[in-house]
Amino acid sequence: MVRDIYAGVADIYDGLRKWRMWWMLAWNDVRRRYRRSVLGQFWLTMSMAVTIGGLGFVYSHLFGVDVSTYLPYIAVTFVTWAIISPVIVDSCNALIESDHLLRHISLPRSLFAYRVLARNLIIAGHNVLIIPIVFIIFHVGMNANILWLSVGLALVSINGFWIGYFLSIVCARFRDIPQIVASIMQVVFFVTPVMFLPSQLAKRGISVVKWNPFANLLEVVRDPILGAVPSAWALGSCAAMAFVGFLLLIPFAGRYAPRVIYWV
Amino acid sequence: MPSVIVKDVCVDLPIYNSRGRSFKSTILAHTVGGRVADDRDRSLLIIRALNHVNLELKHGDRVAIIGANGAGKTTLLRIMGRIYPPTSGTVESVGRIACLTDLNVGMDVEATGYENIKMRGVLLGLTRQEIAALVPDVAEFTELGEYLKLPIRCYSQGMMLRLAFGISTAIQPDIILLDEIISVGDQAFAERARQRLNSLIEAASILVLATHDLYMARELCLSTVWMSHGRVIDYGQSDKILERYAASSQAP
Repeated sequence: MVRDIYAGVADIYDGLRKWRMWWMLAWNDVRRRYRRSVLGQFWLTMSMAVTIGGLGFVYSHLFGVDVSTYLPYIAVTFVTWAIISPVIVDSCNALIESDHLLRHISLPRSLFAYRVLARNLIIAGHNVLIIPIVFIIFHVGMNANILWLSVGLALVSINGFWIGYFLSIVCARFRDIPQIVASIMQVVFFVTPVMFLPSQLAKRGISVVKWNPFANLLEVVRDPILGAVPSAWALGSCAAMAFVGFLLLIPFAGRYAPRVIYWV
Repeated sequence: MPSVIVKDVCVDLPIYNSRGRSFKSTILAHTVGGRVADDRDRSLLIIRALNHVNLELKHGDRVAIIGANGAGKTTLLRIMGRIYPPTSGTVESVGRIACLTDLNVGMDVEATGYENIKMRGVLLGLTRQEIAALVPDVAEFTELGEYLKLPIRCYSQGMMLRLAFGISTAIQPDIILLDEIISVGDQAFAERARQRLNSLIEAASILVLATHDLYMARELCLSTVWMSHGRVIDYGQSDKILERYAASSQAP
């Protein structure tokens, strides 16, 4: 057990130290997807903008919410969700896809979880351009609470890392899990306030959102951008989840990460 | 001082079929107390790729590994290169290791030649300055010139190999693990590639060469490890071992 903990910490730390590698791999992932297209990776921004615009107008009428409240809200939630969900779904294949590298270069396994996280943060960097445009159109202001965004992003990254790294190892061994995770995330999308406002549920006294860890992850990034301080509950539960997650991840990774090469 | 010490190493390779990999069968095995009447599932195949292997290499050693297909030559290289963790036993090594088992590793066909050189440099753990120094060296050796600005999917097979070889041999390691001697390109280039590889080998502290080419083994390596079914069955001076090996494979 002690040896597993030691190996797990070494693996996670060693991966972090090799930031040049995962940063390069992440950028290359983004670039290669859009090579040979005119707009390049700004296709990401385009398709996100179209989704937000279309959904914003239709669903604001459907929900009976003012479009100038609703559209800025989903602009922020969609961009945030586009970090959280792909980190978890892509991580399932992080090690499986990298079998060629793993077979010929001795690399810490955690490197590939960092790579998926970095890739999706880079993509978010493209998507984020939409938010100021929407805010200008609908006269939404930001305030000093935006500083909480750094805390929010840190919490999302840390949680995204441990969940992603854990899944990448499990999925290398059990090939059904990626499918299971993908369908779970589909459901989670609908029960998390990405498309609807949490106040709409709260009015009816439903507190599902409170116990949904993804809703809390969403909140700590969403609220600072919309000018509010995230609730202590959301911040606390995300921090607690990160803490417990790492406690579980470290011995698990220490024990099973080296064996991944026999599974991929 | 570079060294590699392999101590009593075993490697068991599990072979999972899709049933063995599925979560369902693992869950079912628990819920029904492992009494699933399904014979197909019992066949979790385990192959012992290395069986209590001991090997100690120190500065100046030039070792060939010979043996039939599936004898464990490549697995032994991968154990020394820290690609495979041993199932039991220990591997200790000092020095920068280059595992030249696949020259193409980490290449992206959509990226240009220059980008590929840089990407490989990063994967080798080099800093920005070291990579900047690497680029002209590889460019000069490969003689690809303007082609380096094109995506490598436009390259011919031979050009691709030149680039892969050029990058793989650009950094001087302490320990070289080589799976067969590589030969690339047309006659003129093959000669230059041979020279480049030889100078790399000469400057290295330790060479391990897994090969079927007994001539190369005799030429490059002072000692030889003879492997069979995951075991080291003989280890010593190349001349003697190779003679015995040749005799045994000729015997009916």
